[in-house]
Amino acid sequence: MTILDINNNSFYNKFDYNIEKAVEALKKEFGQQFSISKSVREQHTSTTTVHTPELPDGVVFAYSKEDVQKTVKICHEHGCPIIPFGAGSSLEGHLNANFGGISIDMNNLNNIIEVHPEDSTVVVQPGVTREQLNTYLRDTGLFFPIDPGANASIGGMTSTRASGTNAVRYGTMKDNVLSLEVVMPNGEIIKTASRARKSSAGYDLTRLIVGSEGTLGVITEITLKLYGIPEEIGAGRCTFPSVKDATDAVIMTIQAGIPVARIELLDIAQVKAVNNYSKLSLPESPLLLLEFHGSKSSVKEQSELFNEISKDFGGNNFEWNANIEERNKLWKARHDVYYAVKACRPEADYIATDVCVPISRLSECITETIEDMEQNKLFGPIVGHVGDGNFHVQLLIDPKDQNEIDVANGFLERLAHRAISMDGTCTGEHGVGQGKKQYLLEELGSAVNFMKLIKEELDPKGIMNPGKIL
Amino acid sequence: MDGNTSIWSSDNYDPVSIKLCVKKLKEEFGQQFSDSQSILEQHTHTMTIHESELPNGVVFVETKEDVQKVVNICKEYKCPIIPFGVGSSFEGHLNAPFGGISIDMNNMNKILKVYQDDLLVVVQPGVTREQLNTYLRDTGLFFPIDPGANASIGGMTATRASGTNAVRYGTMKDNVIALEVVTPDGQIIKTANKARKSSAGYDLTRLMVGSEGTLGITTEITLKLYGIPEVIAGGRVSFPTVKNATDAVIMTIQAGIPVARIEFMDTAQVKAVNNYSKTNLPEAPLLLVEFHGSQSSVDEQSELFGEISSDFGGKDFEWTSNNEDRNKLWKARHDAYWSCRAVRPEAELYSTDVCVPISKLSDCITETIEDMEQNELIGPIVSHAGDGNFHVALLIDKNNKTELDKLDEFLVRISERAIRMGGTCTGEHGVGQGKRKYMLKELGNAVNVMKSVKEAFDPHKIMNPGKLFL
Repeated sequence: MTILDINNNSFYNKFDYNIEKAVEALKKEFGQQFSISKSVREQHTSTTTVHTPELPDGVVFAYSKEDVQKTVKICHEHGCPIIPFGAGSSLEGHLNANFGGISIDMNNLNNIIEVHPEDSTVVVQPGVTREQLNTYLRDTGLFFPIDPGANASIGGMTSTRASGTNAVRYGTMKDNVLSLEVVMPNGEIIKTASRARKSSAGYDLTRLIVGSEGTLGVITEITLKLYGIPEEIGAGRCTFPSVKDATDAVIMTIQAGIPVARIELLDIAQVKAVNNYSKLSLPESPLLLLEFHGSKSSVKEQSELFNEISKDFGGNNFEWNANIEERNKLWKARHDVYYAVKACRPEADYIATDVCVPISRLSECITETIEDMEQNKLFGPIVGHVGDGNFHVQLLIDPKDQNEIDVANGFLERLAHRAISMDGTCTGEHGVGQGKKQYLLEELGSAVNFMKLIKEELDPKGIMNPGKIL
Repeated sequence: MDGNTSIWSSDNYDPVSIKLCVKKLKEEFGQQFSDSQSILEQHTHTMTIHESELPNGVVFVETKEDVQKVVNICKEYKCPIIPFGVGSSFEGHLNAPFGGISIDMNNMNKILKVYQDDLLVVVQPGVTREQLNTYLRDTGLFFPIDPGANASIGGMTATRASGTNAVRYGTMKDNVIALEVVTPDGQIIKTANKARKSSAGYDLTRLMVGSEGTLGITTEITLKLYGIPEVIAGGRVSFPTVKNATDAVIMTIQAGIPVARIEFMDTAQVKAVNNYSKTNLPEAPLLLVEFHGSQSSVDEQSELFGEISSDFGGKDFEWTSNNEDRNKLWKARHDAYWSCRAVRPEAELYSTDVCVPISKLSDCITETIEDMEQNELIGPIVSHAGDGNFHVALLIDKNNKTELDKLDEFLVRISERAIRMGGTCTGEHGVGQGKRKYMLKELGNAVNVMKSVKEAFDPHKIMNPGKLFL
């Protein structure tokens, strides 16, 4: 089995793109809603990461599903790539136009269409951001739990199968999308499912589109599950002598059926970075941050149970508090990790890795990864959504130092191989985009051929976000 | 493709070629192959009103290599293959409308590996859910999905099954981590690794779950497991109306009570149970609940539920965390099937399976009961009320043409009613042959996308033809 080169677009090379004619037609059709200005195009590429931006030829600002449909039909007719664009917070080059083409900006499709409180569901347009949604929902007593950190758009979160800190309790986007409306590559609008909470009516097209990164169609409506805002939220933190002790405590917590809502690991380097940045004095050893949701007595019971478990694994200084202010202070450390890490080396570029392994292999994977960084003189604090076996190394790299870039590339490859060899994945929640394509075959073998067959059948002209995933 | 045009046609399958295929399989598999009439009859649908359509032969496979060999031979002769588990499906999934080979998976019944720390198990498809839970007992873990019948895990995966505790633990879609599949072209693929979440490309796992054997044959299934709850409490309460009962369910879910089962019975079902089990439950809509957790947590859940149900006119709420007493409280639910049969012993039982948003559940049930009254049909109702899913157990004299016609019309009306209310014609039984005619109404041109996916995977249409869509 050969490993694909990162720039290998051989799957897409067979498609014949004709961009100029599409740009002309879109200009005519959309007028002010269409832009080819350099600055607008520069805003509509992947800018948050080390992936080199690749500019689209134009940007359509869509306001309605009809706008989306019109754009797709024009691009379909001429064979022009279309790259859906939300908040621009993706990390793996998803928004780059490596074959040129049109970026379709979904931010003006930002209506919350209807809340069904009795059903605990909401229908939104893809440009709605998760913070916008939760602000809107506040009065209903309901909330949407998925929290990837960034204030991402729901459309983008759907496309990358995003999750984040509370997936251990509430699942990922795959578990929380009930139904989608999608403009398919031929311009047809489909609805993938009814609003029923479960269904056995045919192939699960909802889950096929969730995580497809804009390569199978453009999402125009999303029906999401909602949850009652917990009566009580309690938070805790606990330090451990080693990563292994911390992950063993996590395993035991989950086996004991404690419905922990968040359980996050910070390694020593991360704790140090947070101490420096947030002027805290957390003990410099692996740290678990926890959150419990439920009734008052249930949160208390969960915290006490966790405390007992943590002691069995050498945990100490367990602190917990259900008071909002105390809780926020406790979680400040977690919320600040991005800035804390950046502050360690302000001139450096930042790369977040995203492997996910079975939880039994997690401490081994993290420990080997820390050793790897030490041997290669790389600096990368670690945070982990440890309940899921997912962790991020936040690598700081001098973009001007070619030697360091080469060392980082070697490290990224080894990390992905390590996770895959432990029966895990190269990406737990960020998606494949351009950055992880090279690992997909190693991870999934000939299953990748079936992804290609689906892509070819649904998008025979290869216009939907080419150069990504496959 | 037009959604109304059938992709299935007997022209695709040459009877002479199927005969040659049978001959070849007989040579290859010897004792593992049978075409005796009684074996053929056992391998079609005998449970429901769908007429049996016999295959031309049955292969009893022992290994994935056997499965691969069967698929490769059938591929060569373009001969249909129908995977067979325990035969407990309802919608004609196992019929052979175009002839072909039934592939009996029951000897692939090994539990391959339990990953205690990861809460995972890898099983072969012929393992039944009771076998799995018996095997797991000593580990303190269990597999929750419970469709009633002692179904095979392969069959449950193929129909996206769920059952009484989906409200807490989800359906098969939520509990399958990865699959190994023999594809229609004879390759063996794995759909994912064992990480608990992944954003690595299209979700082939979810595409296979619920595909009813039309995209490939599952040969290995990795499932999520859960810790056996410390305490299980059960309860029972009667309500003045259907609406009061479903309102109590909605409030229970919104309050975040993690109810493990919440089952509804209509008055006709309660009467049937009273007659059959010699009980004297109030002849009114009934809810049965189950709570999982620690002693203090189930106490709290039960008490909260008691308060909610009395707000909605619930009477005589009884609950217990004593196992024996709980079984007595729940006896009505356990006896539901047999009590229905006893209402009209000579009749056939046909079970419907619509699922609607929970806000529509009481409307849908009430209209359905009125419909039966108007048309003089007998059908007690049980509902997985937390999911909005309910089953009418219609009792029909198969030899009475008028009654059969009335049944057909009723089935069309109930499906259309559910679809009109934003729901689905099938919550957990699957489409098979019986629900195909509603797919277009429910999902519109999304059905074309399903047909495209089918075309991509199985261009010769050898996998379980005649199912899922017209």
